[in-house]
Amino acid sequence: MTEVTKIFIPNETSANSVGANLLHQIIKKINNDEGIKIIRNGSWGAFWLEPFIEIEKDGIRQGVSYRNIDLSHLNTIEEFFLDFESRNPFDINDIDFIKKQNRIVFSRIGNEDPLNIEYYKNTNGYQSLSTAFEIGPQETINLIKESGLTGRGGAAFPTGIKMQTVFDQDSSLKYLACNADEGDGGTFSDRLIMESDPFALIEGMTIAAYAVGASKGYIYLRSEYPLAKDYLLKAINIASDNHYLGNNIQGSDFNFEIELRIGAGSYVCGEETAMMESIEGRRGLVRSKPPLPAITGLFKKPTLINNVVTLATIPPLLLKDQSNFSKIGSNKSVGTMPFQLSGNIKNGGLIETKFDITLNEIVEDFGSGTQSGDPIHAIQIGGPLGIYLSSSMLNTSLTIESLQELKGSVGHGGIIVFDNSVNMAEQAKFAMEFCVKESCGKCTPCRIGSVRGVEIIERLQKHKTSKEDAILLHDLCETLESTSLCAMGGMTPNPIRSIIKFFPNELIEK
Amino acid sequence: MAKHLINIINPFLDKKGGLMPALHAVQDHLGFISKDNIRELAIAFNCSQAEVIDVITFYDDFRLKAIGKNIIKICQAEACQSQNCKELLHNLTSHFGLNINETSNDLNITLKEVFCLGNCAIGPSVMINDMVIGEATTEKVVNQLKVINAEE
Repeated sequence: MTEVTKIFIPNETSANSVGANLLHQIIKKINNDEGIKIIRNGSWGAFWLEPFIEIEKDGIRQGVSYRNIDLSHLNTIEEFFLDFESRNPFDINDIDFIKKQNRIVFSRIGNEDPLNIEYYKNTNGYQSLSTAFEIGPQETINLIKESGLTGRGGAAFPTGIKMQTVFDQDSSLKYLACNADEGDGGTFSDRLIMESDPFALIEGMTIAAYAVGASKGYIYLRSEYPLAKDYLLKAINIASDNHYLGNNIQGSDFNFEIELRIGAGSYVCGEETAMMESIEGRRGLVRSKPPLPAITGLFKKPTLINNVVTLATIPPLLLKDQSNFSKIGSNKSVGTMPFQLSGNIKNGGLIETKFDITLNEIVEDFGSGTQSGDPIHAIQIGGPLGIYLSSSMLNTSLTIESLQELKGSVGHGGIIVFDNSVNMAEQAKFAMEFCVKESCGKCTPCRIGSVRGVEIIERLQKHKTSKEDAILLHDLCETLESTSLCAMGGMTPNPIRSIIKFFPNELIEK
Repeated sequence: MAKHLINIINPFLDKKGGLMPALHAVQDHLGFISKDNIRELAIAFNCSQAEVIDVITFYDDFRLKAIGKNIIKICQAEACQSQNCKELLHNLTSHFGLNINETSNDLNITLKEVFCLGNCAIGPSVMINDMVIGEATTEKVVNQLKVINAEE
């Protein structure tokens, strides 16, 4: 007689969006065996399999994709097991999509209940905080500097240098602000950390705050992520109950608390200065820099601002058995990057890997091509402000440097695939429309230029050969780039220029 | 009986930058932020009514009048664009006979567009209240609404 001990049913936005919650209700109802524990784990990030249900039997864990499968006719848990066995269960760690990754930051997601702090501690959790307490703030910052970590939010600024600047400020009050306003279309890496491994973020924030001398941290979370809010609130409470937050953390003299702030549907609040305005209770208008937030930030105090993945990367960097993070990659592209593969793709999801991987490897080897089965026509990299590459450019390496050469950026790591039904002139127009919608309104080129941009592109859609409008669009892009305070206006030209350059005759015909 | 506004916003009065969470709380409890609320918020936070309105009108989530009990947000960002979200938006608006940002006469639903729900690998995505629907179709959205209405 084989013995089932655990059933894993993910509780994560994407899994729930295709029925994980519903399946959980059914299985919970028919489970009359007290020896079987149902665990709501996080997602493995292989979203085409969701809802991916796993069973642990005789110590062996295997799973089945229950996409579009109705189980409401089942009456007993044995019937469920029979159904499960009939669907060729497999170990998720055996599939190429997971095997080919190098999961360092996302090593825990999918394994367990994300709020199980014992599991977190048993898998190196909170070891790095102890290390930080042992070696002290400056040595902690040195280790982060040496690691070569750059910000994963989009700007790729060296994390250690930012921390040093905040550390060097002479102020009795400093803040840490975690940017969880993951607004780029096609991105979900921050969400996955918050929903499937929230303690990793909390530990990362605690270490960063200790290193720079901050006593209060904010997480600015977008309102579109209600499940992440739920997990974060619970995780903050559990961490506090276990003396990992609050006063005298783990018997040290370090005090640190985290407050969760919810955004209200504004994309530009993901820009760090607009985010600070929003946390301070105002409209999300960007501030001009300088002063840098590291010197004059939240409530005019020195503030360390990092995004979720960057902060969650700090604990692995400080592990005593060195996670080899820094040995991966070179130049600015050091360590792993969580690419998020989405759009018209067969196998989409989270792919943590070295930067130096080609687009083809991501889209074909991991993604197995388009979902429609039609040829790829375009791939957008790095969110709404990122460039579109054509299908002839699949050999492009995804390093920060190689995308910079193409006048684009890795950004937050979003990779969106379009098949040949896409209309590139429409995509160009959308870039401007998005800027119209989301501009904070402070800089004229962004506020008004984007409106004019939509009009010019609409005219070009009717007369592709209009030289006058081609020149006008070129000039407008230049003005946006050089006279906007932040990346919203400054980088809106990027997708448009890439369409003009890499998709000849689709927007402008010469 | 409606809760008194002061009880709702009290936890945020001593917080730095507490106006945003206070606005969220008011809206969660009362459905929208009324003229009277604005007057009281201005007094409570020691600022002008213009400043309160300034904040409310910047953010998509805040509203000055009642909208539907169920908010249906249809994602129109790039990843969903590659999965025909424009067609889905068209189908949903014609199914419900409502435009974007319009509310049904019975105040049951409001349609909105949104840019990214973070469910990009299995789009197109639609969010009904706090629930995201992946690989969304008109049928899935309508069925989910039926479930919600039946639960009430």
